Amino acid sequence: MSITNLLNNWSFYRQKRPYQGQYDLNRQYSEYKWAMALDLDICTGCNACTTACYAENNLPVVGKKRFNQGHVMHWIRIERYWDENMGEFPEQGASFLPMMCQQCEEAPCETVCPVGATSHTNDGLNSQNYHRCVGSRYCSVNCPYKVRYFNFWNYPSTAWPAPLPDQLNPDVTVRTKGIMEKCTFCVQRLNEAKSRARTEYRLVRDGEVVPACVQACPTSAITFGNIVDPKSKVAMMWKNQQVDLYKDMQEKDNSVRGYRILEDLRPFPSVMYLERVRDMEA
Amino acid sequence: MGRVREGRVLKMEGNPESKISGGKICGLGQAAVQVQYNPDRLTQPMMRVGDSLQPVSWDKAMALLEEKTGPKSGINGNEFAFMTGAMSGHLKVLVQNYLDSLGSKNHFVYEALSPAVSFAANKQIYGVDMPRLHFDKAKLILSFGSDFLGTGASPVHFAKEYAKFRKAPRGTLIQIEPKMTMTGANADRWIPIIPGTEGVLALGVANQLLKHDDFSKTVPADIVNLVGKYDLDTVSSITSVRSDLIGHLAGLLWEKSPSLVISGASVEGHVHGVQNAAAIQILNRILGNVGKTVDGQAQSPFPQLAPATGSFASLKAMNDGMGAGTYKAVFIYGANPVFTTPSFMGFRDNLRKVPFKVAFVNAVDETAEECDLVLPIYTAVEDFGSHVAWYQPEGVEITMQQPLMDKLYSDTRSMGDIMLDLVKQRRADEYKAWPNFFSYLKTAVTNIKPAVKYTDTDEHFWYDTLSHGVIHVDAPQQQIAENFSTEMLDLPTTVNSPDPKFPFYLIPSERHYFRDGRHANCGWLQESPDPLTTVVWDSWAEIHPKTAASMGIHEGDYLEVSSQNGTIKVKAYLFPGIHPDAISIPLGQGHESLGRFAKGVGVNPFKILNPVFEKNTGELAMFGTRVSVKRTGQSEIVVKDEGPVSTQMGRKLVVTLPADVAQLSKEI
Amino acid sequence: MIHRLLATLCFAFLFGTAAGAEPFVQGGPIGSQTPDGYNALGPVVKQPIEFPHYRHARDMGINCMYCHTGARRGYVSVIPRIDKCIGCHQNIESVRNKPRIKKLFEYWDKKQPIPWKKVNDLPDYVRFNHERHIQRFYFRQNRPVREVCGYCHGDVANMTVDRRVKALSMGWCISCHQKDHKESDTNMKTSHGPGECWQCHK
Repeated sequence: MSITNLLNNWSFYRQKRPYQGQYDLNRQYSEYKWAMALDLDICTGCNACTTACYAENNLPVVGKKRFNQGHVMHWIRIERYWDENMGEFPEQGASFLPMMCQQCEEAPCETVCPVGATSHTNDGLNSQNYHRCVGSRYCSVNCPYKVRYFNFWNYPSTAWPAPLPDQLNPDVTVRTKGIMEKCTFCVQRLNEAKSRARTEYRLVRDGEVVPACVQACPTSAITFGNIVDPKSKVAMMWKNQQVDLYKDMQEKDNSVRGYRILEDLRPFPSVMYLERVRDMEA
Repeated sequence: MGRVREGRVLKMEGNPESKISGGKICGLGQAAVQVQYNPDRLTQPMMRVGDSLQPVSWDKAMALLEEKTGPKSGINGNEFAFMTGAMSGHLKVLVQNYLDSLGSKNHFVYEALSPAVSFAANKQIYGVDMPRLHFDKAKLILSFGSDFLGTGASPVHFAKEYAKFRKAPRGTLIQIEPKMTMTGANADRWIPIIPGTEGVLALGVANQLLKHDDFSKTVPADIVNLVGKYDLDTVSSITSVRSDLIGHLAGLLWEKSPSLVISGASVEGHVHGVQNAAAIQILNRILGNVGKTVDGQAQSPFPQLAPATGSFASLKAMNDGMGAGTYKAVFIYGANPVFTTPSFMGFRDNLRKVPFKVAFVNAVDETAEECDLVLPIYTAVEDFGSHVAWYQPEGVEITMQQPLMDKLYSDTRSMGDIMLDLVKQRRADEYKAWPNFFSYLKTAVTNIKPAVKYTDTDEHFWYDTLSHGVIHVDAPQQQIAENFSTEMLDLPTTVNSPDPKFPFYLIPSERHYFRDGRHANCGWLQESPDPLTTVVWDSWAEIHPKTAASMGIHEGDYLEVSSQNGTIKVKAYLFPGIHPDAISIPLGQGHESLGRFAKGVGVNPFKILNPVFEKNTGELAMFGTRVSVKRTGQSEIVVKDEGPVSTQMGRKLVVTLPADVAQLSKEI
Repeated sequence: MIHRLLATLCFAFLFGTAAGAEPFVQGGPIGSQTPDGYNALGPVVKQPIEFPHYRHARDMGINCMYCHTGARRGYVSVIPRIDKCIGCHQNIESVRNKPRIKKLFEYWDKKQPIPWKKVNDLPDYVRFNHERHIQRFYFRQNRPVREVCGYCHGDVANMTVDRRVKALSMGWCISCHQKDHKESDTNMKTSHGPGECWQCHK
């Protein structure tokens, strides 16, 4: 950004996100806002999404020792919780929570990066620029979801013994030591779909592009799409679940399942979860 | 399906045209690329020289095959055995033809985790191997140890069906099993039970159900009489399930109709496994679910392509034959019996007695280590093939496999090509029209054309088939019988007194990513946390916190788990989802070979299984082993994804909504 | 050296936004610098066949995208396969005995691809989208193809073997992205290129 640009658009950069009208089908660069809806009732915790992510995004396998040290690089992970009031046995089953970068609108990680390596894109993603990152790890500290992963080791030289590098996705950089990385909503797929759509003078169609996790999910628990388009499935789900991107606290009926995790911290996440349902009379 | 760039396959995807997967894919499917690019893949034929395997050229390898098993070797059919894993489609036909050409009947299909017991029970009752299950029509699924979401026939398909079942009107899932599986973790109610007593519980529930006039009138008298013996107190004391729960289950089943009652591996892996499964199916009969949620699959018009799913009986037959010195040559493909057979069988020693052993593998596993000739074959992404799954939800689906890329190593060959060469040893004239497996498959697949009423040319049909990846054949539905006789139900009515020397039930649990261990050499799968314990890169013993406390066991303590047949040393993991009298160790780890990601990781509980067999089928009773547990005093951290606290600490992370409050029907 | 680089960067930052008509910047004679001071010239690349771009693009007037077919519809512009070359040249008897054409047919007869070397190579972490640029300037703004391709590749039509003549560095990319460009040939509206990291960095 040049200084002229910065001065001309001062109020834009000072604007608190998200603001009404930030995403609008008529605005040239904000006709997209990627969002998700994740149904915890039909997520079975099977890990198909995590493996798909490893395949799509060149995530390194770190090994047992480094896993133990917390160096694991899974951009999407499945957390498992037991009920707090569990008796002798977990009679209501376990609670699975797929957790990936929530692509917050008011992202806590963005404001603290000393070099501006992580910033907001026009289509509402929280971008991570590996080449600008200096590895201060401040963003990871500030992330309430703990979904930022740091390359403590030079994985390109160790994690893929030949010929495993042949599998690497050429659309995604292989990250080296000393930088932070995280879920991108498979931005390489989004960019390609956007480019294709633009050539054809249209917007990306609903369902035309999905991240790897959504594509793999056997129960179709994850819905992904452009929330700016009111006819997209994800936008209808958000509306139906009375979750508003621009509100920090939802006022919703008790029977409605939609919620965003740690909303009270006001990061305005782009991922809506649907509550797990349990038949208490069973 | 897969994504290919510059001649390299990068990522696997499900085929959206498949009615089984619906375009979805599990982690195992994703890992196919890691098998393809595995650094420990076998890249050239190996021949035994003294104690070690040495590289050899294909010419020499094939010459050796010719010398030992060719027409001039003088081998007769009885002296030859071919062991394969479960297989279907045209490669199976070719294997069969090869054996025919030798005059051999020794095709031993072996899967360590085969559905043989459940097939036997279904055959008795319904007259078919596997009925079709309508999850979406059921309001209640009562599952006795069936981990349909994690393992079994097709987790991807059943997960898809499960999602439909959970949409409005939301069905209720109740899971009864000794150790919580992934399916149990998703249940509305999970009920622990003493392993092997599930059949008794089913009869106890039936007993309660028959108190309703609606049911007792429709059920034959012999069933009513039999079920009468299983009153609440008896059943409760045998199964350790509270008696009020049994009545509650019956109430729910009565209330929510149609329901679906299913059983799984932990029910079937016992001495009376078939009876257990049959007792559970009686519930479907009483509830009138047969014909509603339990139905017939389509009858395949191509029986020769149908899958052979394998059984322990065939492993035993082969093992005995090898021990007696019957076989002069043995071929092994798609199975790793040295790893998956219990040590009491002495499979490794018996295999060594065979003078000529050949393995067809992607990577050298424990079995291949023992062989005289190890031939490297194409992986699934390099080869042509056809497959038929044993659970067919709609019609019959023949899945086509085609290469996504050129062979990675010039010195590997297609299994089909090798088989064709072998068949040609004796039937050169019959098979001369086909220079390779591709042309054979093309001809064979084209023969299916009339069955699908395809009217265009053969060539078009072939390319159409390849571009769709599946052939859907409309086939008439099988009629299922209802032979519920009480003769086969001889379940105990008294409490089993435990052996004081071996107080614990061993549950060798099937992990959804490792199954019997053949995929253990994939880094992605090793690093993918087990859904329930979140442990990675290791084996562990799940033990109930209450039991652990009474024995002074903490997480990470090394335990000596001993059966009559051996001892394994494994770390403890305190797990609330297990019966206090049971201890569970996952299968699939503990490799001595296979490659860098698998070798030396964890322990192999297959080895310590006792010679306990299912009564009706002779299958190994996987869950029938009793063990003792001893602390060793050593301890090591358990590497897992879960943090030090396993609850949400009051935060609103996963919120649970009672089903009666939720209004799913108003959702989109 | 660093000072000079910084100076040029500042130069670009300060004056890069000046809106106005876009001058058609020629690649210029080999060895020259781009107007904003970047050291543009790349190394001489020795190709397996000395491909005469001038013959095809200048003398014959063939559209660049006749061979580089990917440019209008994908990220990569595509170096044509050998069958594309043969497709024409098997019917052009007049040059059949020229040494380069003989070499071409040697590869064809051996069924080997020609091992072309990369000239305009970007780092692995950058994804340049040819499609967006061609669509914008060639199809929508209706500029001549040699000009549009020339923005980044220089005057290839006057070269024999292609040589990199532009900096292809990030600052150089940005310097153009910050300019206001007309949106189409009929519309006076202008806009500039995207400035987000993820547009090009992958």
